[in-house]
Amino acid sequence: MSSSSFIVRKVAVLGAGVMGAQIAAHLVNANVPVVLFELAAKEGDPNGNVLKAIDNLRKLEPSPLSVRSRADLIEAANYDHDLPSLKDCDLVIEAISERMDWKHDLYAKVAPYVGAQAIFVSNTSGLSINQLSDALPEALRRRFCGVHFFNPPRYMHLVELIASNVTEPALLDRLEGFLVTTLGKGVIRAKDTPNFIANRVGVFSMLATLHHAERLGIGFDVVDDLTGSRIGRPKSATFRTADVVGLDTFAHVVRTMEETLPDDPWHRYYAIPEWLQKLIASGALGQKTRRGVYRKVGPDIQVLDLASNDYRPSTGKADEAVVEILKIKDPAQKFSQLRASQHPQAQFLWAIFRDTFHYCAVHMASIAHNARDLDLALRWGFGWDRGPFEIWQSAGWQQVAGWLAEEIAQGRTMASPALPAWVTESGRSGVHDRTGSFSPADERIEARSTLPVYLRQPFPDPLLGEERSYGETVFENDGVRCWHTGDGIAVVSFKSRMHAIGEEVLDGLLQSVEIAERDFAGLVIWQTEPPFSVGANLKKDSGARKKDAPSPVGSLLKKLRRGAESLALKAARQVGMADQLMAGRLAEVERIVEKFQLATHSLRYSNIPTIAAVDGLALGGGCEVIMHCDRAVATLESYIGLVEVGVGLLPAGGGCKEAAMRAAQEARGADLFPFVRRYFEVIAKGEVARSGEHAKELGYLRPADTLVMNRFELLTVAKAQLRALAESGYRPPLKPRGIPVAGRSAIATLQAYMVNMRAGGFISEHDYLIGCKVATVMCGGDVEPGSLVDEDWLLDLERTHFMELLATEKTQARIEHTLSTGKPLRN
Amino acid sequence: MSKQIQDAYIVAATRTAVGKAPRGMYRTTRPDDLLAHVLKASMAQCPGLDAGEVDDVIVGCAMPEAEQGMNVARIGLLLAGFPDAVSGMTINRFCSSGVQAVALAADRIRLGEADVMVAAGTESMSLVPMGGNKVSYNPEIFLRDEHVGIAYGMGITAERVAEQWKVSREAQDMFAAESHRRALHAIKSGEFEDEITPYQIEDRVPDLATREIAIKRRLATADEGPRADTSPEGLARLKPVFAAKGSVTAGNSSQMSDGAGSIVLMSEAALKRSGLQPLGRFIGYAVAGVPPDIMGIGPVKAIPKVLQQAGLKIEDMDWIELNEAFAAQSLAVIQDLGLDRERVNPLGGAIALGHPLGATGAIRTATLMHGLRRRRKKYGMVTMCIGTGMGAAGIFESF
Repeated sequence: MSSSSFIVRKVAVLGAGVMGAQIAAHLVNANVPVVLFELAAKEGDPNGNVLKAIDNLRKLEPSPLSVRSRADLIEAANYDHDLPSLKDCDLVIEAISERMDWKHDLYAKVAPYVGAQAIFVSNTSGLSINQLSDALPEALRRRFCGVHFFNPPRYMHLVELIASNVTEPALLDRLEGFLVTTLGKGVIRAKDTPNFIANRVGVFSMLATLHHAERLGIGFDVVDDLTGSRIGRPKSATFRTADVVGLDTFAHVVRTMEETLPDDPWHRYYAIPEWLQKLIASGALGQKTRRGVYRKVGPDIQVLDLASNDYRPSTGKADEAVVEILKIKDPAQKFSQLRASQHPQAQFLWAIFRDTFHYCAVHMASIAHNARDLDLALRWGFGWDRGPFEIWQSAGWQQVAGWLAEEIAQGRTMASPALPAWVTESGRSGVHDRTGSFSPADERIEARSTLPVYLRQPFPDPLLGEERSYGETVFENDGVRCWHTGDGIAVVSFKSRMHAIGEEVLDGLLQSVEIAERDFAGLVIWQTEPPFSVGANLKKDSGARKKDAPSPVGSLLKKLRRGAESLALKAARQVGMADQLMAGRLAEVERIVEKFQLATHSLRYSNIPTIAAVDGLALGGGCEVIMHCDRAVATLESYIGLVEVGVGLLPAGGGCKEAAMRAAQEARGADLFPFVRRYFEVIAKGEVARSGEHAKELGYLRPADTLVMNRFELLTVAKAQLRALAESGYRPPLKPRGIPVAGRSAIATLQAYMVNMRAGGFISEHDYLIGCKVATVMCGGDVEPGSLVDEDWLLDLERTHFMELLATEKTQARIEHTLSTGKPLRN
Repeated sequence: MSKQIQDAYIVAATRTAVGKAPRGMYRTTRPDDLLAHVLKASMAQCPGLDAGEVDDVIVGCAMPEAEQGMNVARIGLLLAGFPDAVSGMTINRFCSSGVQAVALAADRIRLGEADVMVAAGTESMSLVPMGGNKVSYNPEIFLRDEHVGIAYGMGITAERVAEQWKVSREAQDMFAAESHRRALHAIKSGEFEDEITPYQIEDRVPDLATREIAIKRRLATADEGPRADTSPEGLARLKPVFAAKGSVTAGNSSQMSDGAGSIVLMSEAALKRSGLQPLGRFIGYAVAGVPPDIMGIGPVKAIPKVLQQAGLKIEDMDWIELNEAFAAQSLAVIQDLGLDRERVNPLGGAIALGHPLGATGAIRTATLMHGLRRRRKKYGMVTMCIGTGMGAAGIFESF
């Protein structure tokens, strides 16, 4: 059976704890019917416990649900009454507490109800899959394996798939297809060893950090400043991450290692330091108890200080000298300097890298099939920009190996097992190359998986050492590259930083459409990595080329950490029309705005289908591009929004026009106002969608637009959509004649809302002005309600009011302020 | 100074219990059904009176559209079983609509042109939102600064009153807590039993398990708004909703509500014919305008006006039903006119009991007539502020 014919009609999740409930949420995000089980409540509604857990999903941040109302689609159940309903489930995911005895009890209870074809899996984070399997009836063991999601499961790409000794191999392949395409996850096949791959290495890395920080006397706040984004890891770094995960959970994982890895050379470090034990005993478990390594006192963040055994203001920063070293581009030089430096902070960083490299080299053979799996596990599961082997390889494999061997011999490393022979064999320049990654068991390079599901990923998450070429260039300018892979479909990708849209991108788009019309079946707008686009960049010289774009997983996590407001902020920074403004060349700006409108117009009315393939941020002008393509194909993690009001402007690339037209269309002749009002509120608030699904709710995406769960399948699906449109004898839509607009009464009514906001001090005088202008454009100007206009009428209004806002001192002040400080200005 | 040729007597006054909107007990109950119910109930309190003798039915409603549109008065009276010959009229002066209906009905009698009148009010804020289903403002409003107040929401006007009359957040919260305390005490001591005619709610809900339509019945006997867990400390924790740095919160504002009330009025001749005992007599009614942006202060103008008409003094009022649109404006009115807090809303007010806009005037008239009689008091008043800047006040005498 191929992986594509694996039908999952329904999934059961056993256990509505943090992970179980969130996995259920992600399943409904993916339109998979799910029934969530929990213990029956002792009194009242027997589903009381599970309903409480479902309700809690609505409140969690970042939201495990694509839209909050999805929580209603999770079916509630309890073990006392509902076990017979398991028979309808093709997949059963056990996600109860990490206790072997409890899990065994549950397995005995549910096994009789599991369907004859159903797959039964455990979301254990570290218990032995073979031992769990032993509790199952013989017949079910072949259909049992480990499927380990990472918290939060919607956002963390990694899922570890762990077979027992008797798991049917074909079943694993089917499951992998489901996890990758339907749930959008990155699957790594792990061996059945304690804590599997990501937690084993990731937690060791944290323990090494703890050890060296204590040894060198470096404060927790300084450690976090050193071990976050400065070294390509999440900003929450080490201790803030521990607080978020929960100190008790962290301790539990460490304890598992302590109990199950008695012969590990690093075994003596699998222990919880006394201060941490005390913290946990006092009930300070991190974020969930509002106190952990850090605590918030009013607006201030305080950090635990071991010397005084009390909290102090968290102000510690990395030393400038060390920061300078970390800024060095060449990894070989960087590591060489870190190692050579006498600065304790540099010594600390070198030591944690060194010991993690050492640990990975020694353990890889027992825990992972190859170096790629280990590196991707850390990237997808812990949010590292690069995996440990990638970092090592980029720093010069042999040089680092030599340092390691030397320091092992000197007894400076945390433990002293010798490096495996493959590490130091002559000629080795790393573990990844063009053909694959090193597998220690077979002592050879192993290529990427050839399962059918991966045919859907023409460009999987790139790994160091791999060669990546994006087809054959058709056309290229400073803003875009238009290319194809021989399938008759033109793809255009932006080259600008954060894929901002400057004049050369607009020129490139216009030209790409022209070329595609002539020589291709259609045009897909797809970026080689997120974001889709942070919006317009009206700077004449977009000189800033794409620089070290963060790895996709890193940026995914970074997005995760930002609220909608700071998303808007980011976009605002990119609007950057400062030069033109400073030069007082408003006419020049207006010319570019006009070109923007021309470009979006050509996407809509060209003679070929155009598809926007969206992943990540799509703000301002980026959103307008999407709104004008014939179709959008967007990942779940698409954050789309018209955020122009944040810098005192309004969408003028057709965004307001499009919203007005959609409102008119949705009203179907009924009173226009409620429809216009909905779009007005979205644009006037600069609302950014929290998911692709949410973007549909807000109206940035249309009902016919397609959502994709796995970002690496995005291009494939976009091309399939394009082919379907082309095959159906594509013609561009006819230009609408007579678009009804809501007119002057509607403007006044929207104004009335804003008058109250202003009187209540919720918005400023300038906010009010911006809002009035957005209302004016979206309602078609000072005309009678129901007047009929055309697209150009609305576009002219967009341009006029955009330019009027741009000419105001307050909008200019907002733009300048945002450019120089990165923060929004309320004026 | 009365120019009337005869008096108008009140012979019956009743109301529904008031429900919370938009998620309370009447969330799907139609306001025309509530109206028919109180019309029928008020007529039932007049044994011997033939419904055909009613000259006209006047119904106040603040958002007379949709479920309460199409001249809800006529629909309500027909549903209540009045003969076709009885006419009906819906009137609107926002929050005073109910008492305005009573005044208009009384006037028909006082002029000698009618002998029996019914005045009522009905409002479902669950089904018809404040502002109606379609809000539309005149663009002219925004061309002149002095007109902008027309567009102000009621909350903003309350903030303005709080600011100008220096009503503190603390005073507002204390006032709100006292409103709940009085209301709960009144319910407990059965003070509303005379005036409330219980309504049988019937909700038809699809039962997806049995595939049948289940009828859920509930008898609405008591007001839903008062909360036993209200305290000044709890109220102090609420965030201001209308202004970022304001003092008006959901807790010290009137509640959105559903409900209806109905009053039967008669001339002396009709009284004699029917042999009915009157509850009391209508004395007078006045309205007055104030700037729209401080609409809450309206009663300050209307109360002296009606007192002067009636030749009475504020001290003569034993009982004042002052609609608590907001604690801020209630306190400003009390302070400005020097009202005796003990005589104002002795059974609690709209902050606890709710405020079904156009029905409130009729509902509180029923409260006043029965309350005055129970406590053997003589004069009472129903007064309220009105959106876009007005005040209304009516005076009644109990026998």
